[in-house]
Amino acid sequence: MSGATHSARGFWPVMGQAFLWAFLLAVGVVVLYPLLWMGLGGFKSNSQIFDQPFALPQSWSLENYFSAWRGVQGYMVSSLLVTLVSTVATVLISARAAYGLTRTAMPAKPLITAFVLGGMMLSPTVALVPLVRMLQSLGLYDTHWALIILYTAFRVPFTTFLIRAYMLDLPRDLDEAAMMDGASPGQIYRRIILPLCRPIIVSCVVLHILFAWNEYLFAMIFTNSPSVQTLPVGLTSMMSKHGTDFAQVFAAMTLSALPIVIIFFLTQRYFIRGLTEGMAK
Amino acid sequence: MAELTLRQVRKTYGSMEVLHGIDLDIPSGSFVVFVGPSGCGKSTLLRAIAGLEDISSGEFAIDGERMNEVAPSRRGIAMVFQSYALYPHMTVFENMAFGMRIAGLKKDEIARRVTRAAEVLQLAPYLDRYPRALSGGQRQRVAIGRAIVRDPKVFLFDEPLSNLDAALRVATRIEIAKLKQAMPGATMIYVTHDQVEAMTLADRIVVLRAGRIEQVGSPLDLYRRPANLFVARFIGSPAMNVIPGTVRIGPEGARLDLATGGGLRAPFPLDAGLAGQTVQVGIRPEDLRLAEGEPLLVGRISYIEQLGEVQLTYIEAEGLAEPLIAKLPGVLDLAAGASIALTADAQSLHLFGADERSLRPEPAAAVPEVTSARS
Ligand SMILES: Nc1ncnc2c1ncn2[C@@H]1O[C@H](COP(=O)(O)OP(=O)(O)OP(=O)(O)O)[C@@H](O)[C@H]1O
Ligand SMILES: [Mg+2]
Repeated sequence: MSGATHSARGFWPVMGQAFLWAFLLAVGVVVLYPLLWMGLGGFKSNSQIFDQPFALPQSWSLENYFSAWRGVQGYMVSSLLVTLVSTVATVLISARAAYGLTRTAMPAKPLITAFVLGGMMLSPTVALVPLVRMLQSLGLYDTHWALIILYTAFRVPFTTFLIRAYMLDLPRDLDEAAMMDGASPGQIYRRIILPLCRPIIVSCVVLHILFAWNEYLFAMIFTNSPSVQTLPVGLTSMMSKHGTDFAQVFAAMTLSALPIVIIFFLTQRYFIRGLTEGMAK
Repeated sequence: MAELTLRQVRKTYGSMEVLHGIDLDIPSGSFVVFVGPSGCGKSTLLRAIAGLEDISSGEFAIDGERMNEVAPSRRGIAMVFQSYALYPHMTVFENMAFGMRIAGLKKDEIARRVTRAAEVLQLAPYLDRYPRALSGGQRQRVAIGRAIVRDPKVFLFDEPLSNLDAALRVATRIEIAKLKQAMPGATMIYVTHDQVEAMTLADRIVVLRAGRIEQVGSPLDLYRRPANLFVARFIGSPAMNVIPGTVRIGPEGARLDLATGGGLRAPFPLDAGLAGQTVQVGIRPEDLRLAEGEPLLVGRISYIEQLGEVQLTYIEAEGLAEPLIAKLPGVLDLAAGASIALTADAQSLHLFGADERSLRPEPAAAVPEVTSARS
C-alpha cells in the first residue's frame, strides 16, 4: 500500500482540488492582470510602455494621473449625475411596481406582470431608431435627461423582477398584521415591506450603478457634446484625441474604473445575492 | 363589550364554497373556540370575522352594526397569528407600539400602554430586542401583547400555540386563560386542533365540519350530549367507540342488541318506530370497565398503550372491523393476546339514528348562551 492511499482523502480528490485551485488562480490572473497593467501603465512614460511593457514603472510620478483627471473631470460629473438620478428613479419605480404586482388585487395581474417583466426581453438595439426620433422630437436629445430616462426605462423590468421575487417570499401575515394594526396600503409599503426589502434594494442599487456607469451604446448615440457625455464615451474620444499618449489614456481609464471597483468591493455581498435572487421564480 | 352575529355567512373561492351559510351568535365577553378537522374552514371563518377575507354573502355584525364592508382596523378586533407575524425589523417595543403610532396616539400614552402590557406578559426585559432574538414562547407573548395594547373589543387567535413545544403550550394556555379572566369584557375567539385547549379554555365550543356548524355548546354539553356522531367522535380523546346495535322494544322498555353479541337496556326511552332498526351505539373509552358479572363486550386485547395512570387497551371484538378502545386503570395487569370482558353503565351510552343524529331527547331546561341560530 502506498502512502497516498493511506491518507484519509486519497490521491485523486487531492489532485482534483489542486487542479481546481490552479484553474481558479489562472482565471483570476487573466481577469486581474490587465487591470493592474492598466493602472501601472498610468505611471509609466509612453516609451517605457512600448519598450518594457511588463516592467514596473521607473518612477511613481502622478503626473499622468493629474493631467488625465483634468481631461476626465467633465465626463466624471456627467456619469455621476446620470448614474445617481437613474439609480434612484429605477429603484423607486421598481419597488413600487413590485409591491403592486405582489400585494394588490388588481385585475389581470398575470398579464400585467408578464407585460412588465417582458420588458427584459426587449433588446436596446432594436429600439434605437424610434428612440432617437422620439427623444429628438421631445427636445431631449443630447441632454443628461435622455440617458437618465433610457437607463431607467430599460432597467425597470429587470429590477422589478428581482424585487418582486424577494417580496413574494415575505410572509403575507406581516401585511395582514399591519392591516389589523390599522396601516393603510401606503403605510404597509413604506413601514413594513420596504424596510424588509433592504437587502434586495441594495443589490439592485449596486447592479444599476454598475450598468449605468459602464453603459456605452445609448451614451454614444444619444449624447454629442462633451459636456453631456459620460465616461465610456468620453474615454473613447480621449483615445482618439491622445491616440499616441497611451500613458495618459491608461491613467484616465484607471480613474474612471476606480469608483466602480471600490463600490463593487464594498458591496460584493449584495451584488452576488442580487444575481442569485429571483432565479427560481 | 361586543356581541358578534353571523347570519348565513358564506365564503366562496372561485366556484368552491368553503363556508356554507354559518349562523352564529357570540355573546359579549365569551370565550368561544372553533374546532374541526383540518380544512373545515376554521381559519376562513376567523379571517372573515377579522375582515381579512370578504364575506361572499350573508351578514356579519358587531353589536348590531353591519361589518361586512368595514375595514379590519375599524372593527375593534385584534388578531394573534399562528406564525406570530411580528415585524422582524422592529424591536419588541416598536412591534407593540406600531398600531398605536399609526393611530396617532401620544408618545407617553404609547409608552405607558406598552410598559403595562410588557409587565403583564413578563416581557419587560426584552423590550429592546428584535424578534429574532426571542424564543418561541416570548414571540408568542409579544404577539399577544401587540393585540392587547390596542384594547380591542374582540380578540381572535388562530392556533396560537401550535408552534410551541408541549410544556410551553401548557404554560401559555394557562396564561391565555388568565388573560381572559383579567379582561372579562373582551370577547375571544380561538381556533385550535387541540382538544385540551378547546375543553379548558372555552365557554362555548363551535364544532365545524366542511364549512358547516355541527354543534355549539359548552365543553361539557358537547362531551355529554353530542348532537351527532361526528361531534361524538370528534370531542373526547381517544375517540368514542361506535358499535352497531338493533333496537328491541319489549314490555319492560327498549333494549339494544349489540353487533358484538351483548345487549343492554337503552339509556332513555326510545320511539316505538325504531323497533327492529339498526342504531349506532357510542361508548366512550373511559366509560368501559372490566366486567365482574355479565359482560357487555368480550374480545381479545391486541395492543396496550400504557400511560402510567391509565392504559389504553385496544380490543378486537367479533363483528367489528375497528378495534375498540378502553381506558382502563394503569394498575390492572393486562397483556396483549389475552381475552377480556368489559361492561358499561347503560346511562353512559350514546345512541345515534340512521341519519347520524343523536336519539337523546332534548333537555327541557338549560338554554345555551351561544346558539347556532340554525338548530
Ligand atoms: N385562498 C384560497 N383559495 C382557495 N381555497 C382556499 C383558500 N383559502 C382556503 N381555501 C380552502 O378553504 C378550506 C378551508 O380552509 P381553512 O384554512 O379555513 O381551513 P382550517 O379549518 O383553518 O384548516 P387547518 O386546521 O388545517 O388550519 C380548505 O379546503 C382550503 O383549501
Ligand atoms: Mg387554519
